[in-house]
This record gives sequence, structure tokens and C-alpha cells, in this order.
Amino acid sequence: MRSLTLAAVLLSAFAISVLIGASFGAVSFELTQVTGALFDAMLMRPASDPILSQIVIELRLPRILLAFIAGAGLALAGAILQLVTRNPLADPYLFGISAGASFGAVTLMTVLSGISLIFLPIAAFIGSALSALVVLGIAGKSSYNQIERMLLAGVATSFLFSAATSALLYHSDPQAAAAILFWTLGSFAQAQWSTLALPMIVISLSLLTFFAFSRQVTAISAGDESASTLGVNVARIRLFMLILSSLISAVIVATCGGISFVGLLIPHLIRLVMGYSSTNNYLLVATVGGLFMIYIDLIARTLLTNQEIPLGIITSIIGSVFFLYILQQRSTRQ
Amino acid sequence: MIKPLLALNQLSWKVGNKNILSQVNLTVNQGQFVGIIGTNGAGKSSLLRTIYRYIKPSAGQVFFNNRDIWQQKASQVAQQIAVVQQSNAQLSYSVFEIVKMGLTPHKKLFETDSLLDLNKVKQAIEAVGLTHLAAQNFERLSGGEQQRSLIARAIVQDTELLIMDEPTNHLDIHYQIDILNRIKQLKKTVVVSLHDLNLASAFCDHLILLEQGKIIAQGTPAQVLTAQTISQAYNVDVSVSTHPVHKNPLLTFHYNVRQAKTGAITCDR
Repeated sequence: MRSLTLAAVLLSAFAISVLIGASFGAVSFELTQVTGALFDAMLMRPASDPILSQIVIELRLPRILLAFIAGAGLALAGAILQLVTRNPLADPYLFGISAGASFGAVTLMTVLSGISLIFLPIAAFIGSALSALVVLGIAGKSSYNQIERMLLAGVATSFLFSAATSALLYHSDPQAAAAILFWTLGSFAQAQWSTLALPMIVISLSLLTFFAFSRQVTAISAGDESASTLGVNVARIRLFMLILSSLISAVIVATCGGISFVGLLIPHLIRLVMGYSSTNNYLLVATVGGLFMIYIDLIARTLLTNQEIPLGIITSIIGSVFFLYILQQRSTRQ
Repeated sequence: MIKPLLALNQLSWKVGNKNILSQVNLTVNQGQFVGIIGTNGAGKSSLLRTIYRYIKPSAGQVFFNNRDIWQQKASQVAQQIAVVQQSNAQLSYSVFEIVKMGLTPHKKLFETDSLLDLNKVKQAIEAVGLTHLAAQNFERLSGGEQQRSLIARAIVQDTELLIMDEPTNHLDIHYQIDILNRIKQLKKTVVVSLHDLNLASAFCDHLILLEQGKIIAQGTPAQVLTAQTISQAYNVDVSVSTHPVHKNPLLTFHYNVRQAKTGAITCDR
């Protein structure tokens, strides 16, 4: 019963946020106009206001949905990694995935500059897959010290790829450097209906898999040996969860660039507000992450007129201030 | 002849060149309450870990109901053997959530908790007398209450064998007796490692004395807890008499200083 109520609340929050997100922007519309346009599109009716309909359905809606999917995916990946490593700082980017993606993108823009930028997502994906493989290879199949190996390998990989990226940037022209900087800070501006499919499929399937293994993940979050006595194959499940989280992050980074801090922030936010074990409710984590991202994107496109602020800047500012606030609260409480 | 529930056959475990366990043979019958005793570093925890399939032995086998535990899936073994470890106070889950984890090996992927499952969890919490603390955070509980929660988890896990690694560590005398009595009332087969030899004498019907990874004595408390065996194994002076209530041996230590036994210092890593 409680979970049904929660699902209803989350669904209505999602619907309202989509409407709000679709109403504001360079041109703002009334909520009723947006609702009308959405219903026209859903019922395949000819639009009553073609321009408004065009803006809402073709420009804003895919962008809002991409923001939701990306936020949901990053929050989920963060929550899962925090649970299976029992490390509160775990987050997809800690494992070098974003550094790998940047390296892939920068290599394409500088070394292989003859190739069309359409292949940018693919290059980013290859880069992040490369870094994930390094981390996975070092994490290994044995549960002994696996967490330490995973985390340290992630940090080292991150530095390695960042250094390589910096080296390439140092030797490239300033224009390319600016384009790359913008890309690494993340944006949903490229969102189209066609770009939604892949992230949507990957994240839905991962969510489903997380549901399947939720007992095992919860058991691991209470300790390796204890999980093992409950019949959980700790090393294998943890590796599998790392692979899924890497895949989610790689797809998101490839589609939207680097959006830092969401994977770290959202699980902690949920834990703080709703209690420690709430991060085991993956639907809640995914929805809160998605909604958070819809509003971050709204800020990114409406705060300055005629100009978009890169997402990474907003998430990092909000994220770090929020984090410092939590830490300060905790230290005063104790 | 009764078939043993658990049988260890020529079991050894090496780390590098060091033998932690060597050629351990041991059988446990249905309903027995078996105590593992021995000095620090004698291999008690390692022995228990090989039984609950956490450590893979370098040689030898562990049979449970005549089946090699390494020929079975981890979840199958966890349906037959439950473990209460020394409590780990780092858990921010509630008592209810901890106890519910006992369902893990019995559940298929995607399977949710039924009303029956939740009732089982509630009953287990009631059986250890923690109903009033069910919603409480595990790490805020006292050591004795934490141990009782983990026992409730083992009850939910519903296995034939229960293994406990020093369950009375850090507990006051009331909780030491309370915990072991609760375990005894479960009427399960139990293998437990204990430091306190008088507790072992009072509760166990079979004792196994380990020294440097080998079994050096086993049998009833009266057979194992003799002044000679214990003073040699632990390098202490001890007198043994009969306990006035339970009639098993009562050990009285002399609390004098003895020279360290040569070769007994195993913690040279």
C-alpha cells in the first residue's frame, strides 16, 4: 500500500515536472497551452497552434525526457556503486568513466580531426569503455580487497586519462579547446527523439536488472562475509554491478557530456530525507534523480537570456554547496 | 549408525607457505552442540569459515548431508547453513531490515516478500525478544541486542546447521548466558567457537581443541577439559573440579605468570 502511494506521488511529480519544463524557455507558454499541445500529439490530432506544438513536441519534450533519463541513470548508478562498495563517495565518475569519455572525445576532435563530429558520442563511448575495462581488469574476480582495488584503480585511471586529455588539448588550437570544454561540462541541447532511444533502453534494462538483484545488493551493502553467508556470490555480483553502472554512465556521457555530482548527490539526499535504507528503493532513486535533472536543465536554459549555462557548472555548484551544508549539519549534531 | 550431518575430510588451508589448518578430520551429528576452543590464532575462525563456504580449502572436502559444499551453489549452501558472526556495528539498517536479509538465499530473482515472509521475520524478532526495537537502527543497539538480531536473521534463514563465531565476545555475563541459552532452545545443530572454557563446558556436548591448525583433542567436556590438556594448550596453570549444577568440568585458573611456551607464539606475521 505504501509503495503504491509512493508510486502515485512519483508519477504525478513526473507529469507536473514535464509540464513545467515544457512551459518555460526562451519563449514561455501557459500550462494549459502546453497540455493542449501534448494531448493533440498523443491523440494524433492536428495541432491547434503549430509553432507552439513544434517547440513543445520536437524541441522541449525530447530534451526534458533526456534530462530525466540521464538524471535517473546517474542517480541509480551512484546508488548501486555506493551500496556494493559501501563507500559513501562512490559515484560513476570516481571510476574514471568520465575521464575516459573526455579522452575519447578529445582524441576525435584533435588527432582524428578529419572525422565528422557525428561520431563524437561513439568516440566518447569507446573512451569510457576503455577506462572501465582497465578498472574492471584490476578489480578482478576475487572478493579479497576488491573494493580497495576498484576504487584505487578508478582514481588512477581517472588521472591517467585526464593527463592524456590535457596533453592533447595543450597541443590543439584554442577553438577546439573551447568546444571540448563546453562538451565536457554537459548539455542536453542536442536532444532529439532519435537520441533518446539508446540511453532509454540501457537505463531501463539496468533498472530491471537492479530490481532482480536487489536482495543481493542489499546483502553486500551489509558486509562481504555476511553476504557470502547468505549465499551471495559477492565478487561476481559486485563486478556485474560495476559493469552495468559503467555502461549507464558511458551512454549518458556519450549523449550529454559530463554531468558531474548527480550520482553522488541524489542517493545522499534521499538517505538524508527519507532514511538510510531508502536508497534500496531504486524507483525512488531513479525518479528523484530524473526530476532533479529536469529542473537543473530548466535553470540552465532560463537563467541567462539567450544563453545556456553548461549543466556541469550548475550541478557542481548546487551539489557542492549542498554537500558542505550536510557535512556542517552532521558535525553540529554530533 | 547415524549419518553425520557435517563431515570434514583431511581438510587443509594454506596461505603462502603457512599452514593455517592442517588435515582436519571432524564429524558433527544432527542435534549436537559442538564447541571449538583454542588459543588466539589457533585457527578457530578459519575452520568455521571453511565450513560455511567462505574459505576454499587447499586440500580436503567439507560434506554437508553427504554432499560436497563446493559442488553446490552458494545459495544452496546458505539454505542449509546459517552463520552468526561477531556483530558488525557498521550497519545503518533497522533490526527488521537486518532480520529480513535471512530470506536472501530462499528467494529467486525478482521475487518479492510475501505476507508469510514478513510474518516469519516478525516471529523471529519476537523469538529473540526484540519486538520493541524492530524499527530501531542496528548500530544504536547494545552488543547483546545486536547478537540477538543476528540470531533472528539466522532463524529466518531456517537452516539445519547454525555456526557462530565467538558470539559472546564483548558481552557481559548476563548476555553471554542469555545468548547461548537462546541458541540451545532453537534445537538446531550448532557449531560455535568460544573463548570462555567454562561457558564451553556448560553448554557444549562435544568440544574440539585446536592448536596451530590441528585438532589436538576432542570429545565430551569431561574428556577435553582436563588440567593437563588445558594447561598445555593455553600455557596456564589450572585446577579442574566438577561444577555443582551442570556436573561438567569447572575450571579454576591460578592467575600466576608463566614463561611463554616456545613455539606457541604463532602471530609472527
